[in-house]
Amino acid sequence: MADSTPAGAFIHAVEEYTVQQEPYYLPIGDEVQLFETAYEQRIPVLLKGPTGAGKTRFVEYMAWRLGHPFTRISARTGEEAEHRKPLITVACHEDLTASDLVGRYLLDTDGTRWVDGPLTRAVKIGAICYLDEVVEARKDTTVLIHPLTDYRRLLPIEKLGQVVEAADGFLLVISYNPGYQSALKDLKHSTRQRFISIEFGDPPKDQEAEIIAHEAGVTRDTAMDLAKLGEKVRNPREHGLSEGVSTRLLIYAGRLIHRGVPARRACQVSVTWSLTDDAEVQRSIEEVVTSIFE
Amino acid sequence: MTIVGELLARNHERLSGFPAPLEQQFEAGLRALAPRLTPSQLQIWSETGVDLTGLSLRSWEAAVEYFKAAPQLPANTTWDAIETLGREALTMAAESAPLAVSFLRSAPGALAAVGPNHLRQWADLGRRLYKGNWKSASLAAQFYDLGPQVFRVLRVSQSVRLVLFVDELSRHSYELASACLATAPAVLARLDEDDRLPFLAFAVELAQSSWADSRLYFERGASLLQKIHAPVRERYLLLAAQVARGHNRSAFQYFEEAALALGELEPDDHHRVVELAEQLAPYSPFAAMDFVTSTPRVLERIRVDELEPWQQAGLRILQLSHEGGEGYFRLQSSRGEDILDTLSARVELAKVGEILRLYCKALTGRNVSIQTTASLAEKGIGWIDEHRASTEGSTIFLPDLMERYTNKGENFAAMKVFATHQAAHIEFGSFDFDFERPGTVFPASRTTLVREGSQPVTDMERYFDLFPDRKLASDLYTIVEDARIDGAIKREYGGIRRPLGRMQAGEIANRPDVRRLPLRQAFVENLVRASLDGVEAVRWPKSRAQVMAQGLGLLQAIAAPGALVEDAAEATLRLYRIALAIPNVLEDQDDEDDWDPVAPSEGMQQMPVEGGDLGGEGSEMELSDVGEGGEEYQSPQDVDFRGDFKPELVQLLMKLRQDAQGGDAGQVQNMPLTPEQLAELLEKSVEIDLDSLMEGDLDSTTGMFMSNLMKEAGTPAQDKDAKKGEPRGDDSTGEGEGEEPLQPIVTVYYYDEWDFRAQDYKPRWCAIKEANLEEGAEDFYENTLREHAGLVSQTRKQFELMKPELFRKLKRLPEGEDFDLDAAIDWMVERKAGGQPNEKIYWRRNKIERDVAVAFLIDMSASTDEEINKREKKYEDDDYDDDPRKYLSWWVSKRRQELTSPPKRIIDLEKESTVLLMTALETIGDQYGIYGFSGYVRDNVEFFVIKDFDENLDHKIKKRLDKISPIRSTRMGPAIRHATFKLRETDAKIKILVLLSDGRPQDHGYGRDRTEKEYAIHDTKQALNEAKREGITPFALTVDRAGHDYLKTMCEDMGYEVVADIEALPSRLPTLYRRLTE
Repeated sequence: MADSTPAGAFIHAVEEYTVQQEPYYLPIGDEVQLFETAYEQRIPVLLKGPTGAGKTRFVEYMAWRLGHPFTRISARTGEEAEHRKPLITVACHEDLTASDLVGRYLLDTDGTRWVDGPLTRAVKIGAICYLDEVVEARKDTTVLIHPLTDYRRLLPIEKLGQVVEAADGFLLVISYNPGYQSALKDLKHSTRQRFISIEFGDPPKDQEAEIIAHEAGVTRDTAMDLAKLGEKVRNPREHGLSEGVSTRLLIYAGRLIHRGVPARRACQVSVTWSLTDDAEVQRSIEEVVTSIFE
Repeated sequence: MTIVGELLARNHERLSGFPAPLEQQFEAGLRALAPRLTPSQLQIWSETGVDLTGLSLRSWEAAVEYFKAAPQLPANTTWDAIETLGREALTMAAESAPLAVSFLRSAPGALAAVGPNHLRQWADLGRRLYKGNWKSASLAAQFYDLGPQVFRVLRVSQSVRLVLFVDELSRHSYELASACLATAPAVLARLDEDDRLPFLAFAVELAQSSWADSRLYFERGASLLQKIHAPVRERYLLLAAQVARGHNRSAFQYFEEAALALGELEPDDHHRVVELAEQLAPYSPFAAMDFVTSTPRVLERIRVDELEPWQQAGLRILQLSHEGGEGYFRLQSSRGEDILDTLSARVELAKVGEILRLYCKALTGRNVSIQTTASLAEKGIGWIDEHRASTEGSTIFLPDLMERYTNKGENFAAMKVFATHQAAHIEFGSFDFDFERPGTVFPASRTTLVREGSQPVTDMERYFDLFPDRKLASDLYTIVEDARIDGAIKREYGGIRRPLGRMQAGEIANRPDVRRLPLRQAFVENLVRASLDGVEAVRWPKSRAQVMAQGLGLLQAIAAPGALVEDAAEATLRLYRIALAIPNVLEDQDDEDDWDPVAPSEGMQQMPVEGGDLGGEGSEMELSDVGEGGEEYQSPQDVDFRGDFKPELVQLLMKLRQDAQGGDAGQVQNMPLTPEQLAELLEKSVEIDLDSLMEGDLDSTTGMFMSNLMKEAGTPAQDKDAKKGEPRGDDSTGEGEGEEPLQPIVTVYYYDEWDFRAQDYKPRWCAIKEANLEEGAEDFYENTLREHAGLVSQTRKQFELMKPELFRKLKRLPEGEDFDLDAAIDWMVERKAGGQPNEKIYWRRNKIERDVAVAFLIDMSASTDEEINKREKKYEDDDYDDDPRKYLSWWVSKRRQELTSPPKRIIDLEKESTVLLMTALETIGDQYGIYGFSGYVRDNVEFFVIKDFDENLDHKIKKRLDKISPIRSTRMGPAIRHATFKLRETDAKIKILVLLSDGRPQDHGYGRDRTEKEYAIHDTKQALNEAKREGITPFALTVDRAGHDYLKTMCEDMGYEVVADIEALPSRLPTLYRRLTE
C-alpha cells in the first residue's frame, strides 16, 4: 500500500492516503457532531477561518474518525482490516485549473494516456476531497465542483465525454479564509450556498492553552502565557495585524520554549517577526511579549 | 622786569592782532608756568605759542588752547612733556587747526590719565585717524576730546585697538565711526577690565567683515557678553572673531545668538561648550557658533556629559562635508536628530506613543489612544495635574517625557509601567463597577447599607454616597483598587514584574515617615506601603497592632486571583470602618520604639460587616474624626506610577458618552442627565477640585466644567490612525472667498527635504497643506469634451484596446490544460523521425488582471499663466494695408475673438489634457487620482485634491477641474512625496506617478537664493527616487522647451518627456499613458 523510500518517507498514491494515527484535535464547540451529521447526509462542508486555526487538522481528524468505526473483522479470515477513510487534499493556488483537478492526457510511448486528477480519484473511490483555500483557484474550478455538491453528485469529464457518479463515501470539503483575501477574491454565492459553513475562530484562552500544552509539550503555565499572548496580540486589528496570531504559531513558540529557547526569543521569532514587517508594530508586539514573559 | 613781563612785552606786538582772550590766556599761562620753568624754557614755551598763531587763519584758536592748557597741566608734567606738547601742537596745527584745538584742550586731562611719557603715543593715535579731510579731522578731534575718558577705561597700548577699530570703520562710514567712538568709553566701562581688549579685538574683526553690525555690537555687545561666564569670554570672542574673519556673513548675528544661548546654560558649562566649539572652528567657524547656539535645545534632550559624543559625531560629518556638518549643528539634519535620539536617555512620548498605543490596545482589546497628560489637563474636565498619568476610560494619558533613569531602556520600561497600569485599569475593569454585582472574594455588604439622599447617576457615585467622609473613602478605594490592579499585573504579566517591583521599591523609599503622621493617616500610609509590596515597611504602634493587621489582611485578600472591582469596593467598606475607629491624633513621639512591623491577618475576606450605616449623622464614630481635637485628615502622598485615579469621573464620562450616542441598542433607555444632577455630583465628588478649576464664581466654573464634560462626551474617542505623514487638522484655508459657506478642510502633513550639499534630509522641513480644490462651473468639463470630440473618441478607442483580455492563451508550455494541437503534431513527427521532441506541447489560459493606480500631479504655479502663442504673432501678416478702416475692423475682430475665446495658457492645456485623460481612464477602469500643487515657502506647500483615489468622477469633481488655475511657486519635492504617500495607500500592483509641469522646480528658500536651481532639482530628484523605491513608476512631463537640461538630472534613469509642441499635449498625454502602463 505504501512504498518506503530509502529516506524513510512514505509515498502514497493520492487516493491511498489515509490518516493512520488519531490526530490531536480539541473540539471547541459542536463542530465534530456537525461534521458527522453532514457526512451522513452527504452535505458538503465549508470550513471558514483564519490561517492556523486548525481547519486542516480538523479535516484530518474527521477523516480518521469517520474511518475508525468502519474497522471490520473479516468473518472468513478473522483478520482485522481497518476500513480507513481516504483523504485527498488539494492546496489551491491561483494557477490551479479545472484540468489540474479533473485530469488530463499525458504523452506516453504510444500516444496519449488519460490520467485522473485528484478530484476524479476522490469521486471514484469515495474519499473526502479537501480543497484547501479554494478561492485561490481559478473561477472555472469552482464551477466544476457545482454538480458534485448538489443532489446530482456528478463529475462531468468534458475531455473524455464522461460523467462520473460519485462513490457513496465521497464528500467535498473546502476551506476558505475570509480574512486576507481581497474583495476580488471572494467566494461566489452560487458556490458558497452549496455548503454548510463551520466557522473556526480563535479558540478561547483556556482551550488554546490546552492545545498548545499538548502540541508543544510545554507546561500548563507556559501554555497559558502563550495563549494570553495570542489573545493580546489578536486585539489590535490594524497595521497588517488583521490576521492576528494563529494557534499554529503559538505552538511553534511553545515547541521552541520546550526545547530550551528562552521564551522571549521564541516568541520573537515565531510570533513577532512572523506577523509583521512594520518595525513599529513589531516593537509593540515585542512589548506585549516582554510584559508577559520574563 | 620779571621774565613774565618781558615775554609779555616782547610778544605783545604779534599777539595784539588777535582777539583779546589770546593775550589774556598767554599771560595766565605764563604766570602759571613761571615758577616751574627756567626763563629759557619759558621763552621757548612762549615762542611755540606765538608760532602757533601764525600757521593758518584759525590757528590762533589753537594757541588759545595752548596757553589755556598751561595752568591745568598736572604738577608732575616735565619740561620734556611740555615741549613735546608744543611740538605736536605745531605739527597738528599746520595740518588742521581744529585738530590741534581738540588735542590741546584734552591734553591736561590726558596727561593726568596716562602720564607724561605717553603723550606722544596718544598724539600719534589721533593722528592716525586724520586723513587730511575735515571729516577725519573731526573724528580725530573727537578722539582727542574723549581722551581723558578713554584712558580711564583703557591703557594707552590698549587704545591702539580702539583706534584700529575706529579707523577701519571710518573707511566705510565716518558717521558710524564717530557714533561708536562716542559710546566707546561708556560701553567699555561696563565691561570687566580683562574683557575690554578681546571686546575690541572682535570689534576690529567685525569692522573688517560686516562693518554695518558695529553699531549693534556696541549697543548690545557688552550686555550680551555679560551673559557669558567671565573666564571664557575671551575665548568666546576669539571664536566669534573667526566667523567674522574673511566671511561676509553677518557675524554679529552669530555672536548674538550664541551668546544668548550660552546665557540659557549654567555658567559652569560654558567652558565645556566653548571648548567643544573650538574644536569645530578649524573646519567651520559657523558650525562652531551654531553648535553653541543649538546647545540649549540639545541639552533639553541629552545631559551635559552626553554633549561631547553628539559633538564628535557632528565633527565627523563636518570633516566630510561642511554643508552636512553645518546642517547637523543647526539641528537641520535628520542624522543629527537620530544621533541625538540615540544619545538621549530620556524617552519622549511623541516617539514611543504609537508603540504604546498598539501595546495598550493589545492589552485592553479596546481602541485606546495615547495622549499627553498636559492635553488631559487642558480639557478642563476635572483632571488638573499636568504630570500624572491617568485615563478617562478610552484614552490613556502619559507624561510626555520620562527621564528618571540614566538609561534609555530603563526609562522606556518606566513609561511602560505607567502605561500598563493605566491599561490594566481598563483591562481589569476598574471602571465597570456595578453596585449590584457581587464580588468573588468578599461577601457583598454594600447593598445592605442604608442610603439616603438623591438619585445617583452612576454606580460609582452611588457607592461613594454610602460614605459620610468621601475623601477618606476615595483614598482608601484608590489604594485598594490600585493594589488589586498591581496584583493582577504581576500575576498576568510576568515580564513586567521586575520593572514594576523596582518602581514600587523606589516609591516606598520616598514615602514620608509614617511615625510623624497622625494615627489615621499613618494607617492609610501603611496601607499604601503594603499595596506597594512593602508590608515590611509598615510601622505601627504595637498597642494597636490588631487593626493594622486587619487592614493589611484586607489588602492582601484583594490581590488574590479573580478579585473584581466590586471586591475592592467591599474591602474599602471594611477598611473605612477600621480607619474611622482610629483617631487622627499624633502619637507621643517618646514611644517611638513601639512602632513595629505588623503581619497581615489571614482570612480577612470572612471579616463580618455589621449592617447599619457607615457612621452617618449622629453616629459617634463619625464624630470622632474631627471632633475630638484630632488633626484634620490629609490624603496620603501620591504614588507616581499609578497616576491619577478618578473612577467616579470616568464612570460619569462614560455615561455621558453613552447618552450622547443614544445608548446601546437593546439596553434599557437611560434617562439623560439633568444639569442639576451633574452639578450635585460635582459638588459631592472629591475627585474634582473645583477650587483649582475656578476661574470666576462657583456657578460659572461649574457651568464651564459641565460644558467641557459634555463636549468631551459628545465627541466619541477617535481612533487616529497616525500615518507617516501625520495629518493634523488646521482650520486655515487656502484661497477661500469670504462668502464660501463651507471652508475647505485643510490637513497638514510634514515631509523631510533633501539637502544635496549636506547629503542629508532636513527633518519635517516642509508642510503640505492638503485641501479639496474649490468647485467651479461644470461647463468646463463638458465644453472640453465637446471641443475635442474627435480626440475624445480617438483616445477612448485607443484605451479600449488596452482593456485587458481576461484570458490569453499561452502556448508551448510543459504542462497545461490541454494539448496544443500544432505542438503535439510536431512532437509526433519529431518522435517518429527519431529526434528529440520538444516536450512543451500544452497550452493554458492565463488570466491577466489590470491593476493600475496612477496619480497625476499638476503644476499650478504662476508660470503656467503664460499664453502659449505669445511669441508667435499670428495676426501680423493680415493685410490691412494702411487703410485705417481695415485696420480697425481687423482689430475689432481680433478683440472679439480674444473675448469669446481668450488665448490659451499652459494651464488651460494642462486642464484639457486632464479631462481627456480622465475620460480615457474611466474606460479602462484604472484607479486614478488627480492633484494640483503650488505654494510659497516651505511651510505652505498647497496640495489640492481634484480627485482622490477613492472618489468617483461625479459632478463635484468636474466642477473642481474648472478651478485649476495658476497660483504660486513650484516646490515639487514635497508634492511628489505627498503623492507618493497617496499612492502607497492604494493596493494596486502597478503604481504610476505622472508629474505634469511647465518648468523647473522653484520656490522661495528652495535653494540658496532665487536663482539657484541645483538644490530644487536635487530635492525633486530625491523625491522621485523615494517614489521609485516604493515601487512607483515616476514619469515627468514638461512643456518647457528648455526642459531637457534639468530633466536629465532630475529623472536620470526615470522616464520623462518634453512635449515640444505644447498644443499637442492633450493628444500626447493619453498616448504616453498607454505606453507607461502597457
